[in-house]
Amino acid sequence: MEKVKVMIVDDSKISRTMLKGSLAKTNFEVVAMAKNAAEAVKFYQEFSPAVVTMDMNLPDADGIECSQRIHDIDPEAKIVMISAMKDASLVARGRDAGISAFLQKPVNTNDLIDTLMILCQNRAGKVAVLRESYAKPFQRALQQGLFSLVGVHSEISLELEDRRFLDVSGIAVIIGLTGYPVGRAIVFMSNETMKKFCMIMLDKDSLDDVTDEEASDSVEEAANIIVGRGVSNINDVFKDKEIRITPPGTICGTDIRIASPKLTTFRITAKTRIGDINMNIGFAEGE
Amino acid sequence: MDAKLVNPFVDAFTTVLPQMGFPQPQRTNVSVRDGHAVGLGVSVIVGFTKQLRGNVVYNMTEDTAKYIASTMMMGMPVPEFDAMAQSAISEMSNMLTANAATNLAGMGLEVDISTPSLSIGQGFQVKISDGKYLTVEMDIGGHAVEIDIAVEQN
Repeated sequence: MEKVKVMIVDDSKISRTMLKGSLAKTNFEVVAMAKNAAEAVKFYQEFSPAVVTMDMNLPDADGIECSQRIHDIDPEAKIVMISAMKDASLVARGRDAGISAFLQKPVNTNDLIDTLMILCQNRAGKVAVLRESYAKPFQRALQQGLFSLVGVHSEISLELEDRRFLDVSGIAVIIGLTGYPVGRAIVFMSNETMKKFCMIMLDKDSLDDVTDEEASDSVEEAANIIVGRGVSNINDVFKDKEIRITPPGTICGTDIRIASPKLTTFRITAKTRIGDINMNIGFAEGE
Repeated sequence: MDAKLVNPFVDAFTTVLPQMGFPQPQRTNVSVRDGHAVGLGVSVIVGFTKQLRGNVVYNMTEDTAKYIASTMMMGMPVPEFDAMAQSAISEMSNMLTANAATNLAGMGLEVDISTPSLSIGQGFQVKISDGKYLTVEMDIGGHAVEIDIAVEQN
């Protein structure tokens, strides 16, 4: 999935660096940084960013005039004004120049990302944001968690799930996500993989020493740790919107289908020497 | 397991369903259990957290699930438990749990709920707690729904 391209227009190197830093761990990619209006117009044509952040004070024009020039090239341009001062007259003049949103310095990372997300909102953009900012942290957590818990290396993949349900024979640990975005994570694997997982986690000598209860409890605990770590990865970036996890619900059996209507879901597969360990992470759409 | 924390879930069930055109649900049995519950065919699990943490499961046979979906869709026939019917059951579970959360907020207990996960299959085990949980059996017009509730106060 492509990243959403952003151009930063600001005459201060510090401001440019701070804005770029805020976007570093997200789905937004800073493709150009302009320090004046002339550069902004030039770079806009060169890089076609999906969205522009615009400072008010530029050496060769003000941010409103610069926005006007960009709008003359591309009437669909999406511009966010970021200025130290924000008053009604500025907002009114800005709207006339085609500025879509206004933020005040210093910019809170969440507000910035939310504003950019809202401006770029379409299905493709939304899925890209969910994937990069919310699903990827779980991918990292699964890979690191498997290594730290049972010392297995994994070849990991992340894909948008196009099927409406999961087919599970074995164990599925369901952990709800509350806050923003609301959703749920499901960690699932076959019985055989579950037993091997437990054998390593509890340091048992043979599969015969592993009881069914120990096996499912081990996987449940591991899922809780991995999903918790994924949520921490997200909360580290989005500091004021805390996602919390609910206690696990664990399903065991054969030929079970798990459906989550109305969620956008991602399939994360870790291929390991003890078998595939899967995670399906879903977020409510339109939240 | 504190009964006063479980009542909001049962109250949600008995007040919300009649508003959706269902007959008045009757409570037929209440029991304290430990270990796992057994899926009756269709089980929806909704987690919650904040001042209370836990899970609620709405457990029913596929026939009951089809009856509920049909009633929710103004009596439209539901011959198969298809995507639309699954969506209806999932939506009902979300509404019931959200309503329970509102009831809990009225008691000064804030709770955030997750999205529902709907499991379909025969004879699977559902574990929602390491300790005891409460099972409330409800009857809606001759159809049984089992509600399993595990809740702990933070």
